[in-house]
Amino acid sequence: MTIQMFEKPLGMRDDFPFIAKKKAELRANGTTMIQQAGYDLLQTPTLEYYETIGKISAIADNALFKLLDSQGETLVLRPDMTSPIARVAASKLLKEKMPVRLGYYSNVFRAQKREGGRPAEFEQMGVELIGDNSLYADAEVIILAWNILKNLDVKSSRFVIGHTQLLQLILEDFGLDQPQIEKVRSAFVSKNSVGFESLAKQLTIAPSQWESFIGLMSTSTVEEWQQWIDPHNARQAALFEDMKKLKKILDRSGLADAVTYDLSFNSHMTYYTGLVFEVYGAGSGFSLGNGGRYDGLMKQFGLQVGATGFGLRVDRLLEIISAVSEQEEHTLILFDELHEDEAFDEAQKLRLQGVRVTLQFAPAVGAVEEFSKHFSNVLRLEGAN
Amino acid sequence: MDALTIAMPKGRIFEEAYELLVKAGYDLPKELDDSRKLIVEAPNENIRFILSKPMDVPAYVEHGVADIGIAGKDVMLEHDRDVYELLDLGISRCYIATAGMPNTPMNEVTPRVATKYPKVASQYYRGKGEQVEIIELNGSIELAPMIGLADRIVDIVSTGKTLKENGLVEYEKIVDITSRLIANPVSYRLKQKRITELVDKLRKQASL
Repeated sequence: MTIQMFEKPLGMRDDFPFIAKKKAELRANGTTMIQQAGYDLLQTPTLEYYETIGKISAIADNALFKLLDSQGETLVLRPDMTSPIARVAASKLLKEKMPVRLGYYSNVFRAQKREGGRPAEFEQMGVELIGDNSLYADAEVIILAWNILKNLDVKSSRFVIGHTQLLQLILEDFGLDQPQIEKVRSAFVSKNSVGFESLAKQLTIAPSQWESFIGLMSTSTVEEWQQWIDPHNARQAALFEDMKKLKKILDRSGLADAVTYDLSFNSHMTYYTGLVFEVYGAGSGFSLGNGGRYDGLMKQFGLQVGATGFGLRVDRLLEIISAVSEQEEHTLILFDELHEDEAFDEAQKLRLQGVRVTLQFAPAVGAVEEFSKHFSNVLRLEGAN
Repeated sequence: MDALTIAMPKGRIFEEAYELLVKAGYDLPKELDDSRKLIVEAPNENIRFILSKPMDVPAYVEHGVADIGIAGKDVMLEHDRDVYELLDLGISRCYIATAGMPNTPMNEVTPRVATKYPKVASQYYRGKGEQVEIIELNGSIELAPMIGLADRIVDIVSTGKTLKENGLVEYEKIVDITSRLIANPVSYRLKQKRITELVDKLRKQASL
């Protein structure tokens, strides 16, 4: 294949100035809110070891960009931010402070095999709250994600919340073994109702339980979950109580109409161990982000602590939020050799006043009229005056 | 009422599905005379139909330009797209099978299979523990064994008439196919009420 000069590797994108600007605003907006909520921002390396982050990240192996370092070790371009942050927290930060609240805004890399429309490098912003097992931690991250979306003016944002552990316990109650549970869960992940019903026929579900089993897939409120909760099972009852409390907190925080509680909702990411959620908004055909409790991931780093968080897809947010505010002030100063000093001083003065200034040696511009159109003000320091 | 965009395959499936929607109580335009139109509006229901190639329906739905779509299971097996599969409509029933010239074993050195469904074919033979060479064709797959391009074909069979007329026989059935109602994951959440209502109405019709 001959590569043409203008081509980029599959899934790579240029950020043209207007996009870069929109992105910078989004970043400033989001990270300010993250910090205001008490989170410290951090940055981890672009390259990580395949053996650790590559394997732990739960991103499919063929979606990882791999390369070798000079010692022959396999490296990956970081495919997500949650696992590197878990690494940092486990090895260092948690020893200083616990619980620890960390936020990030970073690019991640996932190789694309299919056609266009999906970036192989994109930015994510999010938070991780590590060392807190309580439902208040879950509520905190959901509310923060909600507030960020609200602040960005995302229309009809919606959260879908499920609970992987509760789902596991309920499926066990139907007498399913682990391989069967895995099959059911994967039908749930892709909301494959047809596949789920034909799977249900193969499983040994008692006829009296059939309706209840099929119904698992179509819940939208916490109250509806009640019918599957066995009050004599202490674990189930406690988790369900937590869900009810969580709902109360979210309702109070303005999310009452924005949340769907779907018992069958769960993730293909196996490290999620409790509450999981996904975020949607009008204008994008893809989810805007997701999150949940991932105590299982911390375990892989040798720590028995609770952790929860979310990540938002900056590329998808960019597509749906409205264009940057009105045209900003941008002054052009055109000068010639005679007015060199004056021009430099003027530019300096205006910039100190907060004005955006482009300083341009006039004879170097071919079409002055055309060039000037890109600016709101033009100051010409040239000629005889 | 949320606007709903539905991607439909042109031709027979569209007619069957359209009829199903009318029976389910949807107030759709009676006459669809201009068959070359790509977009059909049903203003009374605030529904817009996009008419596309059957193979393309899941792509429209995955990218969210259509909220829901009607797609053959064959297409969904071949193109692994992130869409929710909500309902088996039970229409356009057929199956994917292997076929070839009568009484011909597979070539032992280079067994070749011609198909429009390379992924389905490859998965099927791998599942049987056989390594075959796949040749992707776009139509008239039956030609391949007749002119010696391949030992077997993997293709859709509905009546078996085409196979018979060309002197081919069916060997193994791979999977049953019907049309499915699929949804974009975001639309499913944001327009859940309308979509669930549609699913319930169609389910009643489909089970009749």
